[in-house]
Amino acid sequence: MFYIHDMSCISAQQTFGDADISHLNGINNKKLHALEPSYEGIPTGILRRMGKAIRLGVGAGLPLLQKKAVDGIIIGTANGGMEDCIKFLNQIIDYDEGMLTPTNFVQSTTNAIAAQIGLLNHNKSYNTTHVHRGLAFENALLDADMLLKENTEASYLAGGIDEISSYNYNIDDLAGWFKKEALLDKDFYTSGTEGSIAGEGAGMFIVGAKEVGALARVRGLELVHTGDIQAIVEQLQLFLRKYLPAGEQIDLLLSGEDGDSRMIKYYTACEEVLKERTAVGRFKHMFGEYATVSAAALWLACYILNKQLLPGHMVKYENTKSKYDRILIYNNHKGMQHSFILVENARL
Amino acid sequence: MGAISAIGNSVTENRHALVQGKSGIGQIELFPTKYAGILPFAEIKISNQLLKEKLNAREPGLTRTTLLALHAFEEAIANAQLTRQQLQSFDTALTGASTVGGMCLTDELYHDANKTDNGSEYLSSYDCASVTLYLQQRYGINGVVNTINTACSSSANAILYGARLIHNGLAERAIVGGVDSLAKFTINGFNALHILSPEKCAPFDEQRKGLNLGEGAAFLVLEKEEAAAGKKKYAELTGYCNTNDAFHPSSLSDDGDGPYLSMKGALAKADLSAAEINFINAHGTGTENNDLTESRAMVRLFETVPAFASTKSHTGHTLGAAGAIEAVYSILNLQHQELYGGIHFNQPIAETGLRPVPAYTKAALKHVMSNSFGFGGNCTSLIFSAC
Repeated sequence: MFYIHDMSCISAQQTFGDADISHLNGINNKKLHALEPSYEGIPTGILRRMGKAIRLGVGAGLPLLQKKAVDGIIIGTANGGMEDCIKFLNQIIDYDEGMLTPTNFVQSTTNAIAAQIGLLNHNKSYNTTHVHRGLAFENALLDADMLLKENTEASYLAGGIDEISSYNYNIDDLAGWFKKEALLDKDFYTSGTEGSIAGEGAGMFIVGAKEVGALARVRGLELVHTGDIQAIVEQLQLFLRKYLPAGEQIDLLLSGEDGDSRMIKYYTACEEVLKERTAVGRFKHMFGEYATVSAAALWLACYILNKQLLPGHMVKYENTKSKYDRILIYNNHKGMQHSFILVENARL
Repeated sequence: MGAISAIGNSVTENRHALVQGKSGIGQIELFPTKYAGILPFAEIKISNQLLKEKLNAREPGLTRTTLLALHAFEEAIANAQLTRQQLQSFDTALTGASTVGGMCLTDELYHDANKTDNGSEYLSSYDCASVTLYLQQRYGINGVVNTINTACSSSANAILYGARLIHNGLAERAIVGGVDSLAKFTINGFNALHILSPEKCAPFDEQRKGLNLGEGAAFLVLEKEEAAAGKKKYAELTGYCNTNDAFHPSSLSDDGDGPYLSMKGALAKADLSAAEINFINAHGTGTENNDLTESRAMVRLFETVPAFASTKSHTGHTLGAAGAIEAVYSILNLQHQELYGGIHFNQPIAETGLRPVPAYTKAALKHVMSNSFGFGGNCTSLIFSAC
């Protein structure tokens, strides 16, 4: 259990700076590309050499660090700087292992995001990169949680980033993870076809063990690996028994439903567990599908807790209360990596 | 523990080579690269086909990286005598590490990343997570599973993460380790940085010319004291620390702040004074930058620098596997009360005059430190103690 004291999100929606998620930016050519800000505060010489994943991570993270010193930087990313990786790879093939320039190689390692943030922040403390695909961000949160138990006075930067690079897009497309056909925004959840829409973004959080001044509390976090619906249902029930105080309920399920017809069964099963008292809101029509989208979902949960508003375009099922104090995020990545995150009003 | 490297296919074989001062660095025979015959590498002389047969791993999409990991993983869990029930228990965690993952398959990756038809069998095998996910799937691991990539310190951080999962009550035991196989990606990447040596690497030597790339894998089973009752205990992980040099993406700072702080932090965690370290298994890649920086950091931290050596002169630099393989070697130091020599060493670095352990020798050891420093300034130090 820990508290979120500050946060930042660069995504396909207006989540950065003056956030406004009531207006929805739609799909563009089967992708939800991130709206990149002006990146003030990052020297242009350095910015120019950064691949997008590093730009997104640094762009979202550095402003937070300018306000708060941290004792560690923990990043979750599945594909890191893969665009630079493919550029280097192409050179290897095209020049048949001839003499190559190293910049793309060095920038393409998945730990380059955390490293660059550490470098620009002159931060010599704990620095690590979790790359466990659909649970990379969750492991980053788990790591931060453990660090806070070990160091109760500390603060950490924890984040999740992934970019749509031509590399991972093409590979995931060949593997059938994205829509084969063109898709209208309004049909995102109802097309009935396989695959989703690629997204990208960075969600960054300053986390600490103290309640004072917190935006939200993360009370529970569970990582599950399974393809079995019944196992997911049981894990959710266990999770609720463990983290939800008796007599309390989840006000809102933030569901990672992504329009992929093969995945809907997991989300429906979780909705069943929570029944009618819980509103259900969806977020992947906003952010797209990618390994660390749960970071954007966490930002969204905190935003909703603090603004007490749920934009209409997100609503799957309303509930009568329209008060959001406890939000459960359920996400799965490629049907096998699942997570539950319980986020609540810090004052509860 | 389980390990496979260019000097042996098991922990025992690795140890025999270390005792005999045998290096696994030489000519590439199996891996197809333009640099075969030009640069030395520490290659494991077992083909993928043979690995698949030996491990009964014939599913499509298995990369060499996954196969090497499987080899070491199986040895480790057999060595730890883990029952099926324990393996699949909700309190058994798994943390893997790799820097290359399935990108060792450059040609297939090139095709899958650029062409729009006929995806290969490796579509879901390129990322680092694919290795850990395969092990999880094959053995039905149900606890916390994770993969870490912090370049050359990856598997040291995997060990650190597993230990903390246990300390924080999120696991009773953790299987931790890492792997990397030879890949055009890293061969060409390191070559472009001009840090591959045309000769067998000579860690801490004044004339050192760079590193030799190697491949390998190692896994360790960490258990709480109570859970390990009745089992053979090789060593205790008593200290660990992760810091960042925050200087440059691919080289360490002149003063070696990152290495200095990670070693100092590990001592603090272990509640040991610098003088209590009997031996350091250094990162010692053989590059001009690392060895000088690491030397300076050791001189800064230790009033008298303890005995030290880099086993990369035996195994080459195994990148994502280095932290774990060298952890195994550090534990062997303690278990057998012996030190392995820093081979290929002739003259000390002029500035520091430090000399690594010259040859195999018996030694009284209580605490051994193992260093792993990577790109991105990621520095991790581990301390193992005799039990």
